[in-house]
Amino acid sequence: MSQPDHESIVDEIRSARIAASPELRGRVRAIAASAPAAEVGPSRRELPWRRLVLVLVPACAAVAAAVALAVGLSSSGNGGGSEGVARGELARQAPAQPPQPFSADSKAAGSGSSGGTALPATAGRAQLYEAELTLKIADLSAATKRALRLTHDFDGYVRSVEYGSGSERGSASLVVRVPVGSVQEALLRYSALGQILDQHVSIRDVQPQVDRRFRQLQAQRDLIAKLQAELESPSLTSAERAQLEARLVAARRQLVVLQKQQAAFERQTSYATVSLDLRTRDKAVVVPHEPGRIGRALHRSGEIVADEAKVLVYVLVVGAPFFVLGAVAIGGLSVRRRRREERLLATS
Amino acid sequence: MRRRRISDVHVVAEVEVPSFESVAERHLDDVHAYLVYLTRSREVAEELTAETFERALRQWRRFDPRRGSARTWLCRVARSTALDHFRAEERRRRRERAYAADVSGAVEDGLFGGLSPELERALAALSAGEREVIALRVLLDLEIDTAARVLGISSTACTTRLSRALKKLEERMSADVAA
Repeated sequence: MSQPDHESIVDEIRSARIAASPELRGRVRAIAASAPAAEVGPSRRELPWRRLVLVLVPACAAVAAAVALAVGLSSSGNGGGSEGVARGELARQAPAQPPQPFSADSKAAGSGSSGGTALPATAGRAQLYEAELTLKIADLSAATKRALRLTHDFDGYVRSVEYGSGSERGSASLVVRVPVGSVQEALLRYSALGQILDQHVSIRDVQPQVDRRFRQLQAQRDLIAKLQAELESPSLTSAERAQLEARLVAARRQLVVLQKQQAAFERQTSYATVSLDLRTRDKAVVVPHEPGRIGRALHRSGEIVADEAKVLVYVLVVGAPFFVLGAVAIGGLSVRRRRREERLLATS
Repeated sequence: MRRRRISDVHVVAEVEVPSFESVAERHLDDVHAYLVYLTRSREVAEELTAETFERALRQWRRFDPRRGSARTWLCRVARSTALDHFRAEERRRRRERAYAADVSGAVEDGLFGGLSPELERALAALSAGEREVIALRVLLDLEIDTAARVLGISSTACTTRLSRALKKLEERMSADVAA
């Protein structure tokens, strides 16, 4: 027999026929015939997964946008503001309700009561008292002089003055310090200079700091007294005496520092700071544009879409390692399955 | 020209979808031959052929003619059936600690369709995996890509596997002739 080659082997294999036996043919025909007529033929309802993704992704995006818009519309109905307000133009700011002048009858110390009542300082406690007043006045010069005179009358002093006037408008900024016991009355008198455009009062209790400083001072005095008593001892050596004297000097120096700090703090808390802003015209302000309902809805919808995007990014970032691990695991299982099949076929 | 009966086809969306009955009739011999090559036993091949068509009927709804021919799809089902059989045989052998078939040995006469004795012996001596690639590429004459898809490997790997199997056949037959 001649040496076989690939071509002859392939030709021989191809020419061979392996036919199913009549019994096998009968069995397979019976199996095929048992198929219900309604189920013959593949289902056309199964969508390829690629087409499914192309449909699902836009559908999910549309649902997310619809939800954002619905929430935006529903939450925009309670927004304030009127469309009649000028857009982006300088406009006169007329207060909706004129602020009430400070009243001397208020007894609500530190109560945070409404804007028409001055807050008196609390007696017996160290407090940092600051007030700001913005007044519209007719005569800038007269009002400024009057404010300065009032400050003097209350035994206060002027910290700074800035004065400027032109052909159409003028303004003056004064920072004055008045005794805290008189601040309520002072604010009432300042308010009477013109129409109140704005006012602000701030009170900060600093008594704990004062108490702490007092304790430090007392401790320092005790230390000084103790060192002085030790120095009177006749049994001290020269070195010990020198050391004690050095410590005494340092302690006295420290006492002076603490006393100065305490004095400064007392000055600070014994006077209230009042900032007066006097002007002949209303301050020109840019009125913020109040968007209408649709604008608010779109804005809110945009915020929700941004939140949804953040959640999606978060899920992707947090889930990405798991997705990768899952893909690697699936791939590994597939490779393992294939190798087992090959091993099976190699040994069968 | 053979006229196709209306009952043989179910035309949907411009793709002719054959009926299961016609597919079974048309490809029975191919599936059977493939399984003979895989199992090296006509008896086992017959059992697995019947089981293959039972599975195929159950999975018929999943067959999409746009993704491949019915013959390719049936070969994949047949392969899966054969692998399950080999796994079961391996478990049984492990339990009984006995071989079901003599690896070296006797082959049914004419098992592979009346080939020369040398070729029959050489084919029998190959592993199931080697016979499988010969059955798909040579016997059933599947395209390289199609055969690779059935085997679950790349086209290059399929070509390499076939080349090695044919080379082994050649060597065994040469050795047989020389002896």
